Amino acid sequence: MVELDNQKEEPIPSDYNEDSDDSDSTQHSDESDFEDSSADKDGDSSSGSSDSDSDSKSELEDGSPAQDNSGDSEDAESQDEDDVKSEGGSEGSDIHQEGVGGDESDSSEDEVAPRNTIGEVPLKWYEDEPHIGYDIKGKKIKKKEKEDKLGSFLANVDDSKNWRKIYDEYNDEVVELTKDEIKIVRKLMKNQAPHTDFDPYPTYVDWFKWDGAKHPLSNAPEPKRRFIPSKWEAKKVVQYVRAIRNGSITFDKPKEEDDAYLLWEDDSGLTEKANHLAYVPAPKQKLPGHDESYNPPLEYIPTQEEINSYQLMYEEDRPKFIPKRFTSMRSIPAYENAMKESFERCLDLYLCPRVRRKRLNIDPESLKPKLPNKKELKPYPITCYIEYKGHEGAVTSISVEASGQWMASGSSDGTVRVWEVETGRCLRRWEIGEAVNCVTWNPLPDIHILAVSVGQDVLLLNTGLGDEEEQQRIKELLLVDSPKASEETGKKAPSVSWLKDDKHDGIRLRHLKTVTSVEWHRKGDYFSTVMPAGESRSVLIHQLSKKLSQKLPFKLHGLAVRSTFHPSRSIFFICTKKTVRVYDLLKRKLIKTLYTGLKEASSIAVHPGGDNLIVGSKEGKLCWFDMDLSAKPYKTLKCHPKDINNVVFHRSYPLFASCSDDSTAYVFHGMVYSDLNQNPLIVPLEILRGHANSNGRGILDCKFHPRQPWLFTAGADKLIKLYCHY
Amino acid sequence: MLQNMSPGHKQSDCFKSVYHFSGITPREPKKKFKGNDKTYYHVKDIAFLHHEPLLEMHRAIRVHERKIKKAEAKKNVERANRLREKTPKPKIDRIIRQRYPRFVDALGELDDCLTMVHLFATVPATKEKKIDVDLIHKCRKLAHEWQAFIARTHRLRKTFVSVKGIYYQAEVEGQTITWLTPHALQQVVPDDVDIPTMLNFLQIYQPLLGFVNFHLYHSINLKYPPLLDPELEAEAAEVYGLIRYAQSNNKPTILETSELVESEQLESKQDGPEIQNKKSELRLAQLQHQLPSNEPGALMHLVEKAAGEDGEEYDDETKQCKNLFQNVKIFLSREVPRESLHFVIPAFGGMVSWEGEKAPFAETDQSITHQIVDREAQGHRFLSREYVQPQWVFDCVNARIILPTENYMVGRIPPPHLSPFVDYGEEGSYVPDYAKTIKHLQAAARKEVLPLPGVEKDLEDPQNLLAEGIIDRAAANQAAKEKQKLMILEKQYHEDLKKELQGATYTSAGSTEVIQTGESLNNGQANIDDVDMAELVMPNKKRKLLKAMEISNQRKQSKNDTIIRRKKKLDEAQNQRS
Repeated sequence: MVELDNQKEEPIPSDYNEDSDDSDSTQHSDESDFEDSSADKDGDSSSGSSDSDSDSKSELEDGSPAQDNSGDSEDAESQDEDDVKSEGGSEGSDIHQEGVGGDESDSSEDEVAPRNTIGEVPLKWYEDEPHIGYDIKGKKIKKKEKEDKLGSFLANVDDSKNWRKIYDEYNDEVVELTKDEIKIVRKLMKNQAPHTDFDPYPTYVDWFKWDGAKHPLSNAPEPKRRFIPSKWEAKKVVQYVRAIRNGSITFDKPKEEDDAYLLWEDDSGLTEKANHLAYVPAPKQKLPGHDESYNPPLEYIPTQEEINSYQLMYEEDRPKFIPKRFTSMRSIPAYENAMKESFERCLDLYLCPRVRRKRLNIDPESLKPKLPNKKELKPYPITCYIEYKGHEGAVTSISVEASGQWMASGSSDGTVRVWEVETGRCLRRWEIGEAVNCVTWNPLPDIHILAVSVGQDVLLLNTGLGDEEEQQRIKELLLVDSPKASEETGKKAPSVSWLKDDKHDGIRLRHLKTVTSVEWHRKGDYFSTVMPAGESRSVLIHQLSKKLSQKLPFKLHGLAVRSTFHPSRSIFFICTKKTVRVYDLLKRKLIKTLYTGLKEASSIAVHPGGDNLIVGSKEGKLCWFDMDLSAKPYKTLKCHPKDINNVVFHRSYPLFASCSDDSTAYVFHGMVYSDLNQNPLIVPLEILRGHANSNGRGILDCKFHPRQPWLFTAGADKLIKLYCHY
Repeated sequence: MLQNMSPGHKQSDCFKSVYHFSGITPREPKKKFKGNDKTYYHVKDIAFLHHEPLLEMHRAIRVHERKIKKAEAKKNVERANRLREKTPKPKIDRIIRQRYPRFVDALGELDDCLTMVHLFATVPATKEKKIDVDLIHKCRKLAHEWQAFIARTHRLRKTFVSVKGIYYQAEVEGQTITWLTPHALQQVVPDDVDIPTMLNFLQIYQPLLGFVNFHLYHSINLKYPPLLDPELEAEAAEVYGLIRYAQSNNKPTILETSELVESEQLESKQDGPEIQNKKSELRLAQLQHQLPSNEPGALMHLVEKAAGEDGEEYDDETKQCKNLFQNVKIFLSREVPRESLHFVIPAFGGMVSWEGEKAPFAETDQSITHQIVDREAQGHRFLSREYVQPQWVFDCVNARIILPTENYMVGRIPPPHLSPFVDYGEEGSYVPDYAKTIKHLQAAARKEVLPLPGVEKDLEDPQNLLAEGIIDRAAANQAAKEKQKLMILEKQYHEDLKKELQGATYTSAGSTEVIQTGESLNNGQANIDDVDMAELVMPNKKRKLLKAMEISNQRKQSKNDTIIRRKKKLDEAQNQRS
């Protein structure tokens, strides 16, 4: 059985198996295995043998008892081998009774048969008896005397074969295992075939071929196809050959390495880049400074506070690289942004438009224009010479008399004062009771009349200067026939009413809206008033001699801010918020419009020549117009950070000035040449400071002295200052 | 004139790479008629692209890709693989020639190419990012070849170890080339980097560097590609191997008339100027026979060329660089960044060795003068040599003198490593202390002026002495400046006094009631006013420019100021401690 099992494991065809098995057995066991074969037959025939097999296995698992049994049987076999043959027949049943495993041990069991015949009963029953059982004749087999433990131990120690001795309890004897038996035991323990001579992998012997064989196994002749070349293969080959010839089949060429060669062999002839369009090479990357060093000087490393402060910055302003210090080269880590920076560079290279830009490497000072020497442009007002004190509110307006001897001022405290210029003495004072907007002297030297705008009224005041003749004329001028005026204006809505003012001994012109400015004509008979809120009647022209008022026959575009007369011709300028409109009064038509480009103009002044004018604006810009040149400013000067309140030209010197809420007044040299080809020369000369700022307002008005290069400034700090040229 | 392409417009990869290759960049039109967010290309540029053979090639590639896709869809792996191998490749050489008609042009724009190739030599090859191993090996090879050439011809000028990597600056054919090599550590490929774009660039950079290397090797009569000792390669000493190759193979080959001049120059490198002159005379005589007599111009040209190249070859700087480490024998310890030092030391004429089987000399060699060590403490020391940190080499190279090694000893914190790219010439720029020290050392080395004998203790430490000298000088300078300032101030004061006196006379002359004010105020502001005056008349454009300049100057100044402030604080802290 075991042998069969083993052979099944071998990869030998099944039909072949039996033969080989037979032959094998016959080969190996020549004489001694006759019993073997018989035993085999026994095993095969009897179903019990399989039982015994399984038994033996189970006992093997149990351990020592199995060994004992087998050993015992082996022992018996070795002892009396001669008896085997005689007992052949009965042995089979015996084995089954005993239930001891192993085919060979079965046969050897025969000799032991006379020893003990108690059969398969528990040995426990005989434990207390003096005998172990009975022999075949029914006699008691006595137990052997037991050696004392010490004696047996000593005997065992001396005996070198002690390890293979086993005590057989059944027969009450000590059995010594042979070498072969131990081998078998070992094989069993390894689950191998329990036979020493058994070879599980025998060399294959081909029994069907031998040297002297006359005939082959198969006598069939070789088929014809084995000798004829294949037709279909030939066809396929032809097909391939044709395909190769035609080029439809191409062979893979060995992979080509694109090797370098001398690409620029003769580039000496080329002088310039022969690119399609103007090629702009990519700008090189910025070279690193000390701060990128792995070990920068200590002062390049920001402190912790500074690093923290970076967090508060906008992300664009934040420094992209924070210097770090490593004390040795081995401690430098890999730079984590290396790939990213390289990638960004790639993007820059192909996505950024390239522009060739000229890098200005110049001193910023050289950008500034070279101005003519100031000393050559003297005289101009430089230093504060006199302060006129007395007003209790901001001085809103001043005006200098034609001779330059007197100066009038109006203030927000409701008074108008007349000063002596040279001494600073206050000559006269009117209490008007309302904030004064504008004060203007009559331009004629012999008519000492002041036009004062107060709220909605314009007052014409007699200053009381001059000799008696002049006073007489002035008083005649200032006489008003009040009923007549009312009659005349009775028809329409009266835009202006001429009234007699008893308190101040003058004329009061009552307007509909607040009057911001009053401007005299050069001949002293006409004067114009501006009411920004007056809409179509915002600019009025009054005639003093006839006590007449008329509105302008022109349509205004935008809010009127200021108006002024031409210094020599009958031309009238109206400054609106964005434009300056120039009218011819005789022909009653618009001559031109000047576009200032400003947000909100605040003041206007005309050059005594009449062809140039300046406009000051609330954003602090000053525009110079050359009316012959263009309708756009010839030059725009951004000088004041705050509103410009007034701009003025000097009547005789090439000077002009602007004053602003930033408490400064600028004095410029503004030369206009008679040669038309030469543009006016504008040179800033001086910044006059000294006024204090009060309630966000600085200098409210400035006027030049008619004959001297002096400038009067009226400040919101209740002072009037005179700046002189020395 | 211009065509606009919005950035949102889907650009195919093909389109993008055509743009990369042909070097066409967007333009900045004067008027952006379609808005600021659009990209504008010149119409002519686009028209030029229409005739670009590259376009045809890219179409072919796209068709091929479709075939591969189809084969894959049909699970015909074999065919797909075969097709993949046969993918057509665009011809790069033509494009390179077109973009850089002259060799000098290519050199001029080599910075980005070198930086990229050096970066990709250290990037890990990953399959998911499609970074091929071959590509990286090729990059490594090209980078080493380039470095070998630079080292062999001693063209390296400046080096700078920064946090980002090591910067090198070389001068080849009059072109200053700066490139960055990352530190020899594993690079991380972040996810927000678009690798295909970079590979696209690399696709042109690699052949470009190959051609440039070929040209350069050819110019010194070397075979390209160079053969490399596999053992050296295994020891990661490729640069050394290449340099050795370059030196050993540097023999003149068979010459043609056209190459005569070139070869002469080569020989001269070995033979020295006198012999070279003789030889060139001889050659000229030979040439005169060969050349037709009616062409004296050609001959003159040749002579001039020879002369010109002579000058270039033997310019002072190269000589100086070649001889810097002439008498120095350096041994590298294991932990030192070997690759960069293998490059730098031979480039400046030094001998270098390392721990390895193929190393030219062993650690025990008694003639070694310096050993580069980067560890906390050195155990066994040879008395005959000095143990210095690697920074010493880089600082020496930048200073062009052999610096005293005292500060670079093992275990010490080395002095600050300064950037050689900073120009101190600009007025008001901050000069670190160590830069001053180096400057003085340089001056001392140049003039061979020994420091004046002082106290013995100081003599022992020449650097300290020098530094002190510098500090003294600087202090003296500062004192002088301050004096000048004082003088100016005094003058001004006198003038003010005079003015005031005049003012007083005026006031006395004027009326008695007048109150005098604002005088001193006006005077103080006179100068400011003068400056402001000119600005008033300036046109808007110039005024804005001026403002921008002022702002940038201010920014620079404030940066400088913070550094000076920090320095002052540090000094104070040090003083307190001492």
